[in-house]
Amino acid sequence: MTAVSTRPTKPKPRPIGFVIAGAIVGFTIFAAAKVGFTLTTVINLGNLPDNPLTDTIWDKGKVWSLFWPIPWDWVLDRHNVIDPLLETFQIAIISSIIGCSLALPISFAMSRLTAPNRPTYFVSKAVMNLIRAVPDLFWAKLLVVAIGVGAFAGAWALSIFSLAVMVKLFSETVDGADPRPLEAARAAGARHIPAVRTSVLPTVFPAYVAYALYVFELNIRASIVIGLVGAGGIGRVVEAQRSVFQYDRMLGILVIMFGVVIIIEQVSVAIRKRLV
Amino acid sequence: MTTRPTKSLGGPIRKSGVAVVLLVAAVWSISGLDVSLSRLASAPGDAWAIVRFMFPPDFSGEIERGVIGKVLESVYIAWTGTIIAATLSLPLAFLAATNIAPPWLRVPVRQLFNAIRAVPELIVAVVLLAVTGLGPWAGALAIGLHSVGTLGKLSTEAIESIDQGPIEAVESTGGGWTSRMRWGVLPQVLPTVISYWLFRFEINVRASAVLGMIGAGGIGSELVQQLNFRNFDAVGAVLIVTVVVVIAIDTLSAAVRRRIIAGTSRSSRSGSRDATALSDLTGIKIG
Repeated sequence: MTAVSTRPTKPKPRPIGFVIAGAIVGFTIFAAAKVGFTLTTVINLGNLPDNPLTDTIWDKGKVWSLFWPIPWDWVLDRHNVIDPLLETFQIAIISSIIGCSLALPISFAMSRLTAPNRPTYFVSKAVMNLIRAVPDLFWAKLLVVAIGVGAFAGAWALSIFSLAVMVKLFSETVDGADPRPLEAARAAGARHIPAVRTSVLPTVFPAYVAYALYVFELNIRASIVIGLVGAGGIGRVVEAQRSVFQYDRMLGILVIMFGVVIIIEQVSVAIRKRLV
Repeated sequence: MTTRPTKSLGGPIRKSGVAVVLLVAAVWSISGLDVSLSRLASAPGDAWAIVRFMFPPDFSGEIERGVIGKVLESVYIAWTGTIIAATLSLPLAFLAATNIAPPWLRVPVRQLFNAIRAVPELIVAVVLLAVTGLGPWAGALAIGLHSVGTLGKLSTEAIESIDQGPIEAVESTGGGWTSRMRWGVLPQVLPTVISYWLFRFEINVRASAVLGMIGAGGIGSELVQQLNFRNFDAVGAVLIVTVVVVIAIDTLSAAVRRRIIAGTSRSSRSGSRDATALSDLTGIKIG
């Protein structure tokens, strides 16, 4: 054994790496400072200035007493929570149905594979990207202002937003569909829409159903919170109780919401397992 | 003799069953929404009227009043929240991975991730704002706490799918637990995990814009104010700035993610992968 075992040399880190790391750390510190996260706020979590309400509570160490005990008889009263919760489901269901059914034709117009012509492709894609870039609660607030407070505006907002999400997901699936059946149908003389319906739709329909269930779940979650900006559902009650500092009632509603979200998730997972 | 292939979309009974269920659900839902025919007819007109008021958007006054500053504040909130989530979720993910942590440790950590994921960040923010008072850092904290759930779950999955070889290699040279994690696991998962962080950042930019609407700072508060004052031309400006910033961040972050994962920042056909990642990050799996 004559060979002197040489240790592999450590690759030198490139200077660009340091620059990037430095930039990230620098931006983080800058952003945190802008947001008001300095070391002192984290350490003195309790003694935040300019909030007389919490100042006094924290000083007495009684913040928990604002949230506890939960008044269950109020929370479980039909008018207070159950009815708004049903309204939440109604908003989610109708907007999922509207959004997903409109999404089916638009997705085909938005896919390179099945678009009838280039202008349709570009226009539909641009409009949908624009809609999706505006957050869902912005839509809710805008529509509340435009057509009035309540579940009606909420259903509109979620219909629009779930349409935009659904076409994004589904048109990408259509993009990836096998083009050969479409060519075959065209070669056999089919016109555009019948060709797409018979040769592309069957191959992507299972994905459509899966995405539709996913959008429904998103809508349930969104419809819980859109009430915070006046668009109906259970969030309306949360906002009402929050604005009068009834935090114990608010916590009760939040516990119910938490349960509902978990149950919906379990049900949806079970349905999807059966589908697949 | 050629036989015609059978249709694959389910039998007629199943199809009409689904149709009936959907129809009943739709009717029940509409019955609860306080919809009258007159309201339905006037809604598009009302919405269109608002859109007309918004254009042309009033940029001159808006920039003076700091819309750009507000939207940047939203970005800072999202960034801070993502950093908080990243630093909390990575160590927790190690504690939740099947191939690293013992069951008594990983089961509670996983349940923690699931529980966090079930609470929307707006709800976290509502509770936090009640305690801390209005302000951007409560928003950042809410985003950070909520993102721990999704990032933790995804990082755990990344850690579980690694190659065990490098860990054994480190072990065979006498490396302890820390060295195994640092040199055996971390290099394998870091690219994936960082791309998840970036994706979460994109989602958090939207989330922080929304959090402003309930008082957690950023562009959302500006939107609500201008809408309350019926300054529709200013609302138009807010919306345009938001859309531009959101799309710019999405594009930039997507390019960086592609560079990290695929080694090139050029766009390739990765659309459906994005879709899967999107669903993963929002906490819901597709099919």
